[in-house]
Amino acid sequence: MERVDNYPTHEYQGLKLRRGHPLPFGATLVPDGGVNFSIFSKHAEDCELVLFEKGAKEPFAVIPFPDEFRIGDVYTMIVFDLDYENIEYGYRMDGPYDPQRGHLFNKEKILLDPYAKAIGGREVWGEEPDYSDDFQHRGRIVDHDFDWQGERPLEKDMEDLVIYEAHVRGLTKHPSSDVKHPGTFASIREKIPYLKELGVNCIELLPIFEFDEFEHSRISPETGERLMNYWGYSAVGFFAPKAGYAATGKYGMEVDELKNLIKELHENGIEVILDVVFNHTAEGNERGPYISYKGIDNKTYYLLTPQGYYYNFSGCGNTLNCNHPVVRNMILDCLRYWASEYHIDGFRFDLASILSRDQNGHPIPNPPIIETLAEDPILGNCKLIAEAWDAAGLYQVGSFPSGSRWAEWNGEYRDAVRKFIKGNGDVAGEIVQRIEGSPDIYGERGPTASINFITCHDGFTLKDLVSYNHKHNKANGENNFDGTNNNNSWNCGVEGETDDPQIQQLRTKQMKNAITILLLSRGVPMILSGDEFANTQFGNNNAYCQDNEISWLDWDLLEENDNIFNYFKSMIEFRKQHPVLRTDHFDTDYNRTGYPEISWHGLNLWEFDPSASTLTMAVLFAEPNDKYDTESDQFIYAAINMHWEMHGYELPNLPRSKEWHLVANTGMEQPEDIWSAGNEPKIDSQDEVLVGPRSIILLVAK
Amino acid sequence: MKIEVEKKDNIKIIRLIGDLDGTSAPEVREEIISHINDNSKLVFDMSQCEYISSAGLRVLLIIAKKLKAKGGQGVLAGLVEEVKDVMEITGFDHMLTSYESIDTAINSL
Repeated sequence: MERVDNYPTHEYQGLKLRRGHPLPFGATLVPDGGVNFSIFSKHAEDCELVLFEKGAKEPFAVIPFPDEFRIGDVYTMIVFDLDYENIEYGYRMDGPYDPQRGHLFNKEKILLDPYAKAIGGREVWGEEPDYSDDFQHRGRIVDHDFDWQGERPLEKDMEDLVIYEAHVRGLTKHPSSDVKHPGTFASIREKIPYLKELGVNCIELLPIFEFDEFEHSRISPETGERLMNYWGYSAVGFFAPKAGYAATGKYGMEVDELKNLIKELHENGIEVILDVVFNHTAEGNERGPYISYKGIDNKTYYLLTPQGYYYNFSGCGNTLNCNHPVVRNMILDCLRYWASEYHIDGFRFDLASILSRDQNGHPIPNPPIIETLAEDPILGNCKLIAEAWDAAGLYQVGSFPSGSRWAEWNGEYRDAVRKFIKGNGDVAGEIVQRIEGSPDIYGERGPTASINFITCHDGFTLKDLVSYNHKHNKANGENNFDGTNNNNSWNCGVEGETDDPQIQQLRTKQMKNAITILLLSRGVPMILSGDEFANTQFGNNNAYCQDNEISWLDWDLLEENDNIFNYFKSMIEFRKQHPVLRTDHFDTDYNRTGYPEISWHGLNLWEFDPSASTLTMAVLFAEPNDKYDTESDQFIYAAINMHWEMHGYELPNLPRSKEWHLVANTGMEQPEDIWSAGNEPKIDSQDEVLVGPRSIILLVAK
Repeated sequence: MKIEVEKKDNIKIIRLIGDLDGTSAPEVREEIISHINDNSKLVFDMSQCEYISSAGLRVLLIIAKKLKAKGGQGVLAGLVEEVKDVMEITGFDHMLTSYESIDTAINSL
């Protein structure tokens, strides 16, 4: 039905206008060829809409908002007859320049709409920007319709996830990737069969909101290579996908390209989690550029000191004012948009503890934004995962507010498992907690609150964890001062690459030990992409600026390290077959099988002292079929020997009809390292098993 | 953009010449929809269309849906490589079957 208010009422320099709709914010297509523009600023005194032809330096129109087009603090207008595909838009805001009071208005600056759904200016990755252009990040208007053909978010149970953390560009940029459009959303589609073969069912993408890969770009004094803002933890706009990640970004079709990727991932049973960065923006500190928020309403968008300086809880120059009602609503709008328009399954919040700071920067017990997201109806089935710390010392693993709705990256898990694998027996008692799903940390929330990981983008890759004692970050151009020193890594005898077959063997074994523990642990496992074929960053544990072979996955290694890939794949499969490993509860007590659901043992049965330092321990899982809906009662026994000598482990007695069979022995080489379901060989002695130095033997009762 | 229509037996061959973008999309949409009747058989000759924008792809999708609703059939023929690639990447390739040549497209109907 035709609307009665869909005709122009005003005209300005030949452009037909009328008062717009304040909601939704942003630029929205309205029927009959109009675009509705709406933007908030509490402290601006005047606002102009600036329209450009795509890529043009000079605007073709600058339209002041008549005062009658303002409602409250929102400037809104409909402009008719725009060729919306071929224009870019921004705003100019006039208001006080008074840094001490937090105001930085500058009416010369052309500002990006915080709600821009697509952003031009960096649409081809790495293409040198024209800095003589005043308007670097340019709002664009996109179609929101997409033919999902009935597809919807998968809503998998949290406990069933196996998360694969990946960088869009790094995943397929390397020449060995063998894809049509390296480094793009499109090329991830080509890796879907691979992801399915590996068995992961959720891909977590490092930031894909529009960012400026040229932010802080410089030449490395060490390598002479250009260093980029490669990881992208620095959003320019929160509603727009990174155009430079799209093969079709040059045509402005990144929105459709990403939606199509998500649709195909979903069709193949793979969920999509986005790593989102709401703690700061790309505008930096007092010396940073005007991109958007700073010029629109500095005092609203940022946490400021009483003197008007930026608080720097993010370590990146500024801190978004997440618990201001306007910013909070923006974050909510943003996540709702990604969940509903892009069918995103979940979000991982970078430095999420910043979200729990009030407007003065103080941590608060029940932060409105955390609660709002936890209770939001549209996000009702989205996974919410917090990186529960920030760069200013707030550390909330286990105590992230708002209870069971939020999961956390479990940093304690990473540290304990790393220590144990390298031979620190003091953490043996802690390993019990970690494998049980960290009940000591998440007692009230259940194991699904724990994202278990040993490696992630931030730090060593798994291969480097067993190949380097120290970080090797000189290529980052910061004299090796950047990146953590707290790696809990061990090089197995030689720092870096080696031809020594014994060391190579040991490293392989250590990698298999790590993934075995990860996939036997209750909680949600997360794997860093490339670890499954021993990808290396050559000892760089902070590759945030390396847009090159350091950070790009080298797919040639997949062939070379086929045994590791096969081991990962088989362990993931094993986990999927055993629901007792994937619970949403911490049950360990005696169950119908007559055994405790989880019991701990030493070299002798029932002899394990969690308060003692030891490198030899064993775990028995008893999985009753009625409780877990499996074909028959199952028993899983893992003898974990992180000691450098061989040890014999006494085996648990089984019900009469069952015998122990070998699933995996990390001390063996392919093909005797792991056996698929149905092919497990019976072991000779049913009373004792010998476990080689630094090895794990995994058995199943049949 | 120029649109040429040729009739071959009960099949209409619609030739799209030029760029199918936001400027031409509304007009292309009107023109083509006027050729859709019950059980229409349409072949879109795309060999002279070098570029299709996001709005252009949406026009093709709407046409595909209208054809389906009216029991008609439509196929694409002779897509240039770049356009074909963009359609595949953005997921618009499922809407209409695509053939290399006009003849194979005609024979398919």
